[in-house]
Amino acid sequence: MISADPVFTRHENRPPPPRTRTCISPTTEPAWVRRTLIGIVLTLLSLLLFAPLWAVFAEALGDGIAAALASLGNRDALSAIRLTLTVAAITVPLNAAFGIAAAWAVTKFDFAGKSLLLTLIDLPFSVSPVVAGLCIVLLFGANTTLGGWLVASGYPVVFALPGIVLATLFITFPFVARELMPVMIEQGRAEEEAALTLGASGWRTFLTVTLPNIRWALVYGVLLCNARAMGEFGAVAVVSGKIRGQTATMPITIEMLYNEYLSVAAFTLAAVLALLALLILAIKTALELRHADALSAIRKH
Amino acid sequence: MRALFLPRRSPMPGFGLSMGVTVTMLSLVVLLPVGALLWKGASFGATNLWEVVNRPRVWQALLLSFRLSALAALFNLAFGILLAWVLVRYRFAGRRLLDAAVDLPFALPTAVAGIALTALYAPNGLFGALAAEIGWRIAYSQWGIFLALVFVGLPFVVRSVQPVLEDMDREVEEASATLGASRWRTITRVVLPVIMPAALTGFALSLARAVGEYGSVIFIAGNIPMKTEIAPLLIVIQLEEFNYDGATAIGIAMLVLSFTLLLVINLVQIWSRRRIGYV
Repeated sequence: MISADPVFTRHENRPPPPRTRTCISPTTEPAWVRRTLIGIVLTLLSLLLFAPLWAVFAEALGDGIAAALASLGNRDALSAIRLTLTVAAITVPLNAAFGIAAAWAVTKFDFAGKSLLLTLIDLPFSVSPVVAGLCIVLLFGANTTLGGWLVASGYPVVFALPGIVLATLFITFPFVARELMPVMIEQGRAEEEAALTLGASGWRTFLTVTLPNIRWALVYGVLLCNARAMGEFGAVAVVSGKIRGQTATMPITIEMLYNEYLSVAAFTLAAVLALLALLILAIKTALELRHADALSAIRKH
Repeated sequence: MRALFLPRRSPMPGFGLSMGVTVTMLSLVVLLPVGALLWKGASFGATNLWEVVNRPRVWQALLLSFRLSALAALFNLAFGILLAWVLVRYRFAGRRLLDAAVDLPFALPTAVAGIALTALYAPNGLFGALAAEIGWRIAYSQWGIFLALVFVGLPFVVRSVQPVLEDMDREVEEASATLGASRWRTITRVVLPVIMPAALTGFALSLARAVGEYGSVIFIAGNIPMKTEIAPLLIVIQLEEFNYDGATAIGIAMLVLSFTLLLVINLVQIWSRRRIGYV
């Protein structure tokens, strides 16, 4: 019987594939170029990033771990940690609320002046932290009308907690909004419109449709905002007055200890902040690996 | 003007609430303080402002801040493109770690970075001692400021260029190679024009960050008047002397200079996007 089906016979008749020659792909560089470039990148990053990170921990543990831990138990160090946590606990939720509101207003509606609004939200990116602190001192300082009245009524802003919070809010202002906007633009309005058509209230639509869609971008923005809020130095240095045990945040205390040549104490406090930074990077990397699709819009932005 | 910040008809709820929160926060946190600076400057008068700024020490500080920031941002532009290229195109052990580490300057507080860099690059530090043997002083000189500014601006260009490189079709490069272009020519004529707008965005962000940077610089700079004194430090010095007028004048000078710079970069960006017809 002749095999009528050519599909089965063609296989045996096919000539053997030509031996593939190892050739350089036209869209990559020769191996030695690749190795050199990777080498340059590794060297520069080691000098710039890894070595300083290592130095923080090496200097902190210079006199042994007992001395490092003892310096953390110091009253000033403890009050600095408490103040920094307080400032972050106030500013991060406020900025998250602002970020959600701003992203909702900008991405769900069309209105005149949108680009003006976006420019104003981005303004803190291009203002020096020191100038930001200066602005707050000029508005609320004891020698201004408003500031003088506030001090007289017992609510000082500058050289007190409210000033530090305001300065930190200013510096971290665009962080959450800027992470949410690209994600919400990419997701469009159709899902919310469907929920509204089905009779859901505005809040219900936000909580059950929008929030799950943006939650990873929100976590991402909050992490960045928190890192900056806990680490801000320039703006806080100007408004805090650096009163030991009262208005000295962790970064300010690090500066004071460093200038007093208390190297171990300064670097131990710095190591705490560095550990926090590493934790934030780890969470961020894990988020990127697990929720790459939900976050891709951020990177495309 | 009446229509400003008012929506066209939309079925979406919550415009009043979200816009109210946005505008209130924006006014309280950003606009009022910046307004206070401009108001203070206006009441001090243009001639007085100019008198404060027009002193050699202030000019030197402004010049130093902007010159070193521009150099650091240029370095970050070149290194950032290289780093993004290596991270996107090459596969090697430790690539993910490197990718994650690029964000370290965003997460690490600037004061921590400042004292860590100083500990390493001071004449008695690990790298500083090596450099000192060949007579190269890094910390407490302009090199130290440059180093700190490179550190804080490092992630911006990488993070702007990376997604563009990831989305780029290899076919374009293949076509270029098929037409006989060398690899170098393909990279400079095909790849670079596509990533340039994103790279310039990163450059502008890195520059803006460097100009205003204070925390990481003051530790490593040495802060010698006329030599290694940056403009933000001058503002802090004026404030410590309770000279609010002087601080205001330098603050306004910095604002004006950085906005001019960003405007120029934006114009270059618009021009480069038009030239290659890419949005």
